[in-house]
Amino acid sequence: MSEQDSTKDPLSRRDFLKLLAAAGVALTFTPFIPWGKFMPNPSNASLERAQVILPDGTQANVKTFPKNHSEVITYPKTGDSVLDQEAFKKWQFIRLPDELGGAVDDVSAFRAYSMVCLHLWCLWKYWPQEGRKRGECPCHGSMYNPLNGKAFAGPASLQASPSNVLATLYFEADNDGNLWIKPAVWSVNENGIVGYGRFLKT
Amino acid sequence: MVVSLKRRNGLVDFFYWIWDGMERTVFIGTKFSFPSRFVSPFGFLGMLTFVMFVILGVTGALLMFYYEPILDRAWDSVQKINDTVPYGFMIRNIHYHASNAMVLLAVLHMYYQYFSGRYKIRNEIIWVTGVVLGTVTILEAFTGYDIIFSERAELAISIAASLTNSMPVVGPTIRDAMFGSGFADFILRFYTMHVFLLPVVMLGLMAVHMPRFLVFDVPLVMAISGAIFITGGVFPVDLGSKFEPTVPPGITVPEWYLTGIYAFLRTQYDKFVTGVLWPGVFIVAIAMTPFIDRYKKFSWKDRPIVTAFGITGITQVMVTTYWGFYITPDITKPLVARLVIDPIFFYLVMLLLVPIGFGFSYMMILLAKESERKAKLAASKAPHKSSPINLSGKWINWLIVALLAFQVYLNIAAYNAALAGMKNFALFLTGLILMVFAGLFHLYRHGLNEAKKIQVPPPAEAESPKALDGKELSGSLPQ
Repeated sequence: MSEQDSTKDPLSRRDFLKLLAAAGVALTFTPFIPWGKFMPNPSNASLERAQVILPDGTQANVKTFPKNHSEVITYPKTGDSVLDQEAFKKWQFIRLPDELGGAVDDVSAFRAYSMVCLHLWCLWKYWPQEGRKRGECPCHGSMYNPLNGKAFAGPASLQASPSNVLATLYFEADNDGNLWIKPAVWSVNENGIVGYGRFLKT
Repeated sequence: MVVSLKRRNGLVDFFYWIWDGMERTVFIGTKFSFPSRFVSPFGFLGMLTFVMFVILGVTGALLMFYYEPILDRAWDSVQKINDTVPYGFMIRNIHYHASNAMVLLAVLHMYYQYFSGRYKIRNEIIWVTGVVLGTVTILEAFTGYDIIFSERAELAISIAASLTNSMPVVGPTIRDAMFGSGFADFILRFYTMHVFLLPVVMLGLMAVHMPRFLVFDVPLVMAISGAIFITGGVFPVDLGSKFEPTVPPGITVPEWYLTGIYAFLRTQYDKFVTGVLWPGVFIVAIAMTPFIDRYKKFSWKDRPIVTAFGITGITQVMVTTYWGFYITPDITKPLVARLVIDPIFFYLVMLLLVPIGFGFSYMMILLAKESERKAKLAASKAPHKSSPINLSGKWINWLIVALLAFQVYLNIAAYNAALAGMKNFALFLTGLILMVFAGLFHLYRHGLNEAKKIQVPPPAEAESPKALDGKELSGSLPQ
């Protein structure tokens, strides 16, 4: 009898039952697949126009901020002092040196790039010394051009686009010369993605 | 004072009763042995690794009472443990140095099994789980030194997260799922992994990895624990400096078991290849060894290719480990020149060292085998020479008394050192106490063995009026 089953029916009754059972198991556990979304943390910071607040608590102003100088700013601010210590919210706020256009008293003299190095996420900073005037990462020596945030030396410069250009922030100045951060869009074609990169606009 | 001459009093009987009851548990297949004389520790390095795991579990649980996995408080809480909490310094140092000891013992354990060919004879599953266990051990140690959240820890977390992110296709998803968003999440999740997830995974793997015969050698366990304490006293682990997001950190290198990978990362080549793929290839190659090694014999001398390959591997690990550590101290050089390892130079050295190392080891193994054959021929003619140390029972007793007196002295010294705030010295002395106990225990069991050998009253055992203990004689009595 079993022989007949196996030769004539393409699918035996036992196999059919097993198939149904497998389908049942699959359907029972399917609803749990989206539960994987439990793991990533939903970000809660809203991206708004914000003042450029320097570490001393004042708002950056185009008239007073020294040339060839950098400070660390936080964006987006959450209001939570712990979360605001996040390295991913830290930006090097740079006023370019004279020869790169830092002499002008408007927004074009200012740049801000994510401090998270594109290579292995160490924190780089701007070095204003003569002969340097560039961003340098202490971990593996990636160097960044302060004009556009592009890595020109070190391991980050060897990474394929967009992972060789730092995420950036765009500014606007009000009538008093106070600087504001324009709302950021975290995508590779806009402000870029922190720790991942940005496409340079040509 | 009541002194019983019976070998077993009520308490000992109770312990034996518990011990016998173990037969009904999952431990039925496991044979514990407490060696009565010195045996080579190579055979039970795995057990020593497990002892480290237990020490780490205990000290880690104690640290959890004070540690806070919060971005801006983690470092401060560790500082509090280190500087303020009484004996916190000790617990932290033991935890740190035991973690290093665990990684080291696990590596030694693996290489001993490798060279003695123990992964054969259907031990493949044990070998593969062992390799996974070793990898998880390193992850465990890595997550541990990250959650201090010093400058160095922050860099380490960044590198781990960005390496995960660099994996093709699945990388960003895994990074999001496992690390969450940003450092506030990283530190909390690393903590969760460090104190719960990874240890649980390790326990599960251990259940598979555990052999049926286990050796627990008290003196050696005490000696290694003592060595950890002493290392903690002499080289206390520093706190590093607290991570400030506005102050970019200086040059740091990872822990010694990761500088090998770090050397590859420093060659500037693609971070996924150097930081994920190469280590992955290395681990998989080790895991696959039992399926590649087709020699029928076990001894390292009879498996020259496998042995030479192992030695070459160790050499390469040492070279890259040192290379990862080395950063030229000349601060006049630019950062890139100090940090970046020239990939052509680096890989060329490897390309040269590997065949040279392999050929040289292979030759030495053949020579060793040949000289062993000759030595055996010579030894069969000459009488076997050995010079045992013979101590009389009286001297053993006096030595033990002397060690006990030394223990008393060390105890007072350690307590006073702790009172005076000399924490490292107190930790050092405590380590010495454990070491002395190891010696004491060894002498004690040696003395017991010697005492057994002495035949006190030679004649007329059968006429002895009363048995010492019914149980002990029951087996030998004629029916």
